[in-house]
Amino acid sequence: MSDHLVPVTVLTGYLGAGKTTLLNHILTAQHGRKYAVVINEFGELGVDNDLVVDADEEVFEMNNGCICCTVRGDLIRILGALMKRRTVFDGIIVETTGLADPAPVAQTFFVDDEVRAKTRLDAVVTVVDALNLPARLNDSPEARTQVAFADVIVLNKTDLVDEATLAALETRIRGINRHVRLHRAVRGNVALADVLDQGGFDLTRALEIAPDFLEDETHSHDEDVSSLSFAVEEPLDPAKFQAWIGALLQEQGGDILRSKGILNYAGEPRRFAFQAVHMMADGGFVAPWKDGETRTSRIVFIGRNLNRPRLRRGFEGCRA
Amino acid sequence: MSEAVADPDHLLRTRGATHRLDGFVVGCAFSRDGSVAAFATGEGTVALTKVADPAWTEIVAHDGAILSLCADVAGSGFLTGGDDNTLRRVAADGAVSVIDKGRRWVEHVASFAGKQGLIASAAGKQVVLRDANDATIKTLEHDSTVSGLAFDAKGKRLAVSHYGGASLWFTGAKSETARRLAWKGSHIGVALHPDGEALVTAMQENELHGWRLSDGHNMRMSGYPQKTQSFAFSRNGRWLATGGAEAVVLWPFFGGGPMGKAPTELAGVPDAVAVRVAFHPQHDIVAAGFSDGTVLMSDVGTRRVLPVCGPGKQQGRGPGLGPGLGPGLGPAGGAVSALAFNPDGTRLAFGTQDGTVALIDLSTRP
Repeated sequence: MSDHLVPVTVLTGYLGAGKTTLLNHILTAQHGRKYAVVINEFGELGVDNDLVVDADEEVFEMNNGCICCTVRGDLIRILGALMKRRTVFDGIIVETTGLADPAPVAQTFFVDDEVRAKTRLDAVVTVVDALNLPARLNDSPEARTQVAFADVIVLNKTDLVDEATLAALETRIRGINRHVRLHRAVRGNVALADVLDQGGFDLTRALEIAPDFLEDETHSHDEDVSSLSFAVEEPLDPAKFQAWIGALLQEQGGDILRSKGILNYAGEPRRFAFQAVHMMADGGFVAPWKDGETRTSRIVFIGRNLNRPRLRRGFEGCRA
Repeated sequence: MSEAVADPDHLLRTRGATHRLDGFVVGCAFSRDGSVAAFATGEGTVALTKVADPAWTEIVAHDGAILSLCADVAGSGFLTGGDDNTLRRVAADGAVSVIDKGRRWVEHVASFAGKQGLIASAAGKQVVLRDANDATIKTLEHDSTVSGLAFDAKGKRLAVSHYGGASLWFTGAKSETARRLAWKGSHIGVALHPDGEALVTAMQENELHGWRLSDGHNMRMSGYPQKTQSFAFSRNGRWLATGGAEAVVLWPFFGGGPMGKAPTELAGVPDAVAVRVAFHPQHDIVAAGFSDGTVLMSDVGTRRVLPVCGPGKQQGRGPGLGPGLGPGLGPAGGAVSALAFNPDGTRLAFGTQDGTVALIDLSTRP
């Protein structure tokens, strides 16, 4: 569906977590691929690549009625210019500053037609380090947002702490972002297949990590950011769902960082996939349900101030 | 007109010279003396041809993509900006010289021809204003990245678009401050009314914004299905032609307009969007290039349409172009990405995303 679109990977993480190390690991790995890199911190460590674009993070608010719809103006310009080269990049990696909110980058891919025509957002990869993550999660709302927003988390510098600490950290990360793909690393040495081509914003791959879905509802919720997931066995009414999700995102889109769902619409052989970043939503029919498969509608919310009973009632109220 | 519609490539076939470049055509321009046409690509190539007797030469002007192209302040040369962070001069004979090398992409370049020629180039948040001898007159600072440049008709002022609005600078060396025109949002291009009555910007939100310069009154021109990538005033300033819709949308800048006036829509192409527009330098004739590769000219007064080139092969149209255009050469495969009239309005140049470039002879013939 989107083979001709150049994948864009967003690399976030607070200062010192090891973003640049991971970036250089990706770029120097023997993969024969060609990447363009957009960086913001021309800093301590050099980035070793043919095409490095030094950008200022220019975030601006769209006047489109969505109060929280901010986009990266510099990315629109830079991606547009890169796409005018005949050279086909295998990917573009956007490194954000330490305190950056990933939402404006993601929303840029919902908002701009030219960006959408040539590129696709593949995934938000957040680098955290095992030694400092607990302190950052405690003192930095930005760090919590980066963990919550991620499709992939690279838990870096695992050689600096013991196994029990690592296990506790992973539990804490999952308390914020249940379904994130979590990889341990030392000096950013993850397998490239674990960070690239993740399809984190690909509707056809929405919730493909479903096996552990709804497993263990007892995660502690002492974080201000958490994930909630719901399932409904009966078919849904498309109009009811659209009305509910539309109103919900309008009202609570500021708090809901990301949401994703696979829905079983009444009388419809295909699955309906849905995703949103704050208020910016996107949806469409994807592959049909398999014969004999249980057609369960599932939805996940990651965000702040999520009210579990209210969201459950809302989702269940969409039954046909 | 029916004959022309039956063969939308008639003008290209009978009066056109075409060439194929290996790259996305990012811009085209005619030299100030009108003798040379230039086409720049995303591969750093500039193709040059004499206007009177088309023959193409290609040179590599930049180490990377060319982002901007305009005529030099005088003579037969051109100025280019690239993502190799350089501002360069390309002479008619293909000689390339570096005017400046900085630390940012040179995304926009504009020149003014006159007794005192001026060159403006934008890199990041800065615009450098130079005289005709490339000496820096001053550096203009902005709070965010510059997205467009336009000189007024007399070279007295330079309009600069950026996030949050536009800045209007006097080009004289003594003036140090800009008039800041504020409007929330991302402004992605700028044009100045030829009599200095208004400054107009295109916006990320599929609309245009204008300021009446006499009193700063705001003008909003909205209703576009897509972003306006290209817009231009007519020579007399009565009309503003804009892309971003299926039809070419013209806003009246007379009789109190554009406020409270409905725009005029010139002929368009179904299922395509006007992406490049250019006004004829003398007459009220608009040329428009579309996302399907179609190029049309329209007379504003009579609404008559003259097709220049039919849709490109990307839209499923066969490659057949008939004899005379060379093997495998589609008319305009891919969206039109560059469009310009020459200074006396006797030629039209255009280029497309897939590298087709063309020069059309519009002059009257015996």
